[in-house]
Amino acid sequence: MTTTTDFAEVATRLSASRPEGQRLRHIASEAFGPGMTIERFKLDNGLTILVERDASAPVVSLMTWVKVGSRFEKQGKTGLSHLFEHLMFGETEMTPHGAFDRQIEEAGGETNAATFLDWTYYVQNLPVSALGLGMRLEAERMARLVLREPQVASEKDVVMNERRQRVDDDVDGAVSEALYREAFKVHAYGIPTIGWMEDIEGFTPDDCTAFYKTYYAPNNATLVLSGDIDPEKDLGTLLDTFGVLAPSEIPVEDMHPEPPQVEERVLVVEKPTSVHRVAIGYKSPAFGDFEHAAMVVLAEILFGGRSGRLHKKLVRDKEIATEVRGWVGTFRDPSLFDISLTAREGTTAEELLGLFDVELDKVLEAPVTDDELERAKARLELGTVQSLETAPGRAESIGFYETVLGDPGAIFGKLEAYRRVTQGDVLRAARTFLVKTARTVVLVHPNGEPDEELDEEDSE
Amino acid sequence: MSALTVFTETSNKIPVVSFAVGFRVGSTADPVGKEGLARITARLFRRGMVSLGAEALEESIDRLGSEFGADASPSSSSVHGECISRNVEAFSELMSRIIGEPAFAEDELGRVVRETQAELVEARDSDRSLAGRAFRRTLFAGHPYARRVAGTLASLATITQADVRAHYERAFTRANAVVAVSGDVTESDARALAEKLVSRLPEGTKNVDSVGDPAGPKGRHLVVVDKPERTQTQLVIGAIGSRADDPDHYPWMVGNTVFGGTFTSRLMQEIRAKRGWSYGASSRVGFDRHREAFTMWTAPAAKDTAACLALELELLGELAAKGVTDEEVAFAKNYLVRSHAFDLDTAKKRVHLPFEEALYDLPPGYHTDYVRHVEGVDTKAINAALANRVKIDDLVIGAVVTQAEMGTALAEAIPNLASKTVLAQDFE
Repeated sequence: MTTTTDFAEVATRLSASRPEGQRLRHIASEAFGPGMTIERFKLDNGLTILVERDASAPVVSLMTWVKVGSRFEKQGKTGLSHLFEHLMFGETEMTPHGAFDRQIEEAGGETNAATFLDWTYYVQNLPVSALGLGMRLEAERMARLVLREPQVASEKDVVMNERRQRVDDDVDGAVSEALYREAFKVHAYGIPTIGWMEDIEGFTPDDCTAFYKTYYAPNNATLVLSGDIDPEKDLGTLLDTFGVLAPSEIPVEDMHPEPPQVEERVLVVEKPTSVHRVAIGYKSPAFGDFEHAAMVVLAEILFGGRSGRLHKKLVRDKEIATEVRGWVGTFRDPSLFDISLTAREGTTAEELLGLFDVELDKVLEAPVTDDELERAKARLELGTVQSLETAPGRAESIGFYETVLGDPGAIFGKLEAYRRVTQGDVLRAARTFLVKTARTVVLVHPNGEPDEELDEEDSE
Repeated sequence: MSALTVFTETSNKIPVVSFAVGFRVGSTADPVGKEGLARITARLFRRGMVSLGAEALEESIDRLGSEFGADASPSSSSVHGECISRNVEAFSELMSRIIGEPAFAEDELGRVVRETQAELVEARDSDRSLAGRAFRRTLFAGHPYARRVAGTLASLATITQADVRAHYERAFTRANAVVAVSGDVTESDARALAEKLVSRLPEGTKNVDSVGDPAGPKGRHLVVVDKPERTQTQLVIGAIGSRADDPDHYPWMVGNTVFGGTFTSRLMQEIRAKRGWSYGASSRVGFDRHREAFTMWTAPAAKDTAACLALELELLGELAAKGVTDEEVAFAKNYLVRSHAFDLDTAKKRVHLPFEEALYDLPPGYHTDYVRHVEGVDTKAINAALANRVKIDDLVIGAVVTQAEMGTALAEAIPNLASKTVLAQDFE
């Protein structure tokens, strides 16, 4: 087992023969839960590297987290972060179009990527023998991507089809988009990550190039390596590939906070759906906020599994819903306690919302029980541990927590915070955040129902 | 008492123990008119035991930091659970009681039937699910695979306590069980836990699956689900596929990897990369205890659907007529052999391979000798399999479209179409 000292020594030795500006420094060894360690490195060009070494399987997950997502976008140019994520699998100065994926697949790897509000990540899950190839290709596309027609036009078509699949022809996707648009009037969290169709259609190679030059640079990214790495060999390859990249000047984010919401917003929409649905968003704390842990525990008590209060009441006892879901946003800025309810045939969205409110009022009036609290904590513990079983799972956790909270091992800090949550904390969080005047509701009615008020309308 | 079929894999990477118990009876055994029985029986496990009601059971599962699930597929029923390892004794005892002492209470049966019926109604909102169901009921017409595992609104309403009890007694026996235990547990403890899981079940007799292979219809058949406001088409094209014990099963599987099995396959290149017509484009040679389907899936915009369908038929015809190249085969074999590391990187994945072999009567070594199987395939064998198995004149095409806008163009894109059926979105 390589020790902390070994990593520092390896970084120093590998850097000795390299010019200034292309060297690697070992910054720290950071605990990753009870039995694992994350080694933190930094290249002179500003790239942060986080290594979690695990020899239990001959695989490695290589992730690149870039600090750009749809929160950086403006109306009229929405969806560029996501479109760009697609284009990152294209041509580079050294690799022809299509060769990136082909080479990774032939080596036995798989690639993927995701874009969301605060971040974009790229993942390569590789047999350990292919890590060198993966790093070379990843470094190439960070600095040497070629953006031109017809690839940009073709990828726009792909993304428009993705939008049709995930949003336009999908009721849940369309409703979620409407919820965030209504809830955030100023903050860019109201912009759909996939972008508005007309914006996607309008992007040019020049738009993409400008975006690339602005945000894709080593000093705006974190590289995560989780798995069976060979420090000597793989850190050497890292220096050869990423070490030579130049940093950029990353612009200061032009962020506009969302003003406090002081009035409930209700949107009624008609969709080609077989049943009524309700989406609700309560303004909720940022992921780094102290109150976030109590909100997560509260969400677990309300929505966690079949013994959650809402499932028990609306699905089991009253038999008016088929599904109830609730999730507290894990974003850098305050976002939503994002709730969706699906009615059974014969129940209207308004009736479902009425019974939902009755249940919500109960957590505002009286503390949750000790038993509910303990069950919620046990469920959260299992979920946390399960997410770390594979190298890709650990890499994702490390990259996500580093990018959003600046602490790659914070998943364990979160678990500790959940364990500390008391009944009083839950009551306080409920009374602070489950405020009707700070919520947005989307009521979804099936098309063609005999109701006079079914046109898309905003009650405000 | 017969020897129990048990597979174990240990790993202390995370403090979690996983359990799976498969039983060799699935929804193909549902009596005609009682479709959904196997799945309802499985779902009732969560709805209470003789000594513990449904709500208390759910709370017990949560309190132990554990999760439990049960479901049915055409050829099997299964239960699975996972728990924080410090609670393994208590959870395995609970799981043993869940499957060995179910209450199958009348009120809970009614509740789960109504819940399942409501889910069937809601599932009409999923175009992919609609396309898949329309496709399967046409391709497998007359065969149990054509029937829905989840049942229909009408069939679910006929299921009685006696039906559930009879199905349970036939299916959930020690003789039918295959057990997998993996994770943070020693080998000897894993075996003891496996025995405990099934300790409350009767010996029973091993189920003989008398279902035959499906034949599939002759000619090309289009089945359209008519749904309003579709901007995109969920499109599935397919035919009768392979059996795991076919001599050319692996050659076809490797050939399919070239055609539609990876992100850079022919389908992805032609449909997504070159034309941008669909976000995804893939094909699959499925397997089960009996001959399953070969399928190709795309989701083109409504305006591109006819052209996309025509191109897919052309590509499939070319595959059958000309086969694949040595270069493509070398790529596919490298991909399959090297990526196999990700089938083995956790204890739960490793134990799943022999577990599935035993549960579905797959040929010995089907998964566990996977690398040798793949490496043993060559271009000649693949092209012979493709020429023999890919029947381009006997296809079923399933699609969800707005019929008034798209139906005619879709039918016209299919040469030699033998039949066209239009279904309402609430078809059963």
